Amino acid sequence: MTEAHWLTASEIGSAYAARRLSPVELVQALLKRISALDPQLNAFIRVDSEAALNAARDAEKEIVAGRARGPLHGVPVGIKDIIDIAGLPTTCHSKILLDNVAAEDAAVISRLRAAGAILLGKLSLHEFATGGPSFDLPFPPARNPWNVAHHPGGSSSGSGAALAAGLVPLALGTDTGGSIRNPAAACGIVGLKPTYGLVSRRGVFPLAFTLDHIGPMTRCVGDAALLLDAIAGHDARDPGSAAVSCSRFGADLERGARGLRIGFVRHFHETDTSADPEVAAALGGVSRVFTQEGAEVRTITLPPLRELAAVQRLIMQAESWAIHASWLRERPGDYAQATRHKLMIGAFHSAADYVHAQQHRLQMIAAVDDAFRDVDVLLTANAMDPACRIDDEDALARTYPRQARSPFNLTGHPAIGLMCGLSNTGLPLSAQLVGRTHDEVTLLRAAAAYERASEWHTRRPPL
Amino acid sequence: MDAQPEGVAMSVTAKESALEALALAHKAGLGKAVQEFPGDVIAAAQAAAHTRSALPTASHPAAEPWPPMRMRTTS
Repeated sequence: MTEAHWLTASEIGSAYAARRLSPVELVQALLKRISALDPQLNAFIRVDSEAALNAARDAEKEIVAGRARGPLHGVPVGIKDIIDIAGLPTTCHSKILLDNVAAEDAAVISRLRAAGAILLGKLSLHEFATGGPSFDLPFPPARNPWNVAHHPGGSSSGSGAALAAGLVPLALGTDTGGSIRNPAAACGIVGLKPTYGLVSRRGVFPLAFTLDHIGPMTRCVGDAALLLDAIAGHDARDPGSAAVSCSRFGADLERGARGLRIGFVRHFHETDTSADPEVAAALGGVSRVFTQEGAEVRTITLPPLRELAAVQRLIMQAESWAIHASWLRERPGDYAQATRHKLMIGAFHSAADYVHAQQHRLQMIAAVDDAFRDVDVLLTANAMDPACRIDDEDALARTYPRQARSPFNLTGHPAIGLMCGLSNTGLPLSAQLVGRTHDEVTLLRAAAAYERASEWHTRRPPL
Repeated sequence: MDAQPEGVAMSVTAKESALEALALAHKAGLGKAVQEFPGDVIAAAQAAAHTRSALPTASHPAAEPWPPMRMRTTS
């Protein structure tokens, strides 16, 4: 049997049902692994051992008594520390909110509790889901399990690192400009940004209201579907929540790629930006796998990446400035340098700049929707480079904007990052698939078909 | 207060831009940041200008922005 810490959520459910593993045994194994590995990785800000063990005992009793609640019952989940868990601090990895104890659970946490999931602790991030890997904060930055000298991506850094290191089977991340898919790329895991509004933002500290998404981070596509099943759904207390009915998101995971029409957005990484040759080659490999699996791959053109990214950036800068203006005026020294710089940018935009960006946004949403008249799923680059060293500020500044993720925060379409290769330095490479609005079922079908054919998801870092 | 980031030689135009950025920051209530972190303030202003320069050509000024205003339903 696979070691307990590498089991997927669905394998954990099967092991519980067959009495080969219990929730208490699994939580104990993960706590032991966290103790051993996290001092190098800094994935956790807080491990909630006692509450996790209590929840595991409760889950065990219910499962043994034949009252299993569903596929996530007794499955541990790590939570990015920007999401409220009642009674615990939500620090946002910042000195500003060190004592910010949450009064109630975020909507996604309530849903996870209802599904019987076990909350293992709070995971590190880039300060306020922006900034960068900073060394001038109360908590150290997370490290990449594939090479601890390298950046694990961000802002959901701890979520990516914890999954890749086998510290948790599931995690939640948030994504305003790519913060789920970036660590997915750097850490070689699966990161799903759902359609805007599909998952409630209530109880999650905002970075930019109209761009913020909460989503699953996992080690396989099937688990992303299971986690999304648990956390998606309308929430009347989130004004941006979509009033849509949720199907079983993994309904088509086994259908394969035959008949799917894949639109390959080559210009993002070939001409708009020049991707690292290994990344470009890996994306070509993804395209070939889809063709071999019976999909039709055709080249698709979207608006230029530079323009999509600039519109997203202006909106994010304006909205995040509005949220942080008061603290930046009174406590600028309490932010990390990288965060302070990024959050002050919005002070220099005008109201008209923001409105103009929102006007462009409408046109860009329409352009992406138009592309979906001819294809079912888009294939694009995720990160344009393998993860750089975490202490190389120039490389971070150079590689961080070299990505194709933020366009889909702007347009709200669902997008998934998944591993598609290893660099010659042993670091993960990643592709991004994008779906029609509220068509996560097809998006996950395509991702699962690629995953089955490629098996990159079975690779593990040399810890 | 030294408005010039340490170790960076600035042209007259760059110096004017930096002073303009610091003045704008003051107006935005960022006086403390201007005093303590002038280099960050100037870098933020430069980043804002960079973002605006990458925007597409102007859209029609009367175009509807996203998201459109929506009324709550009472049902």
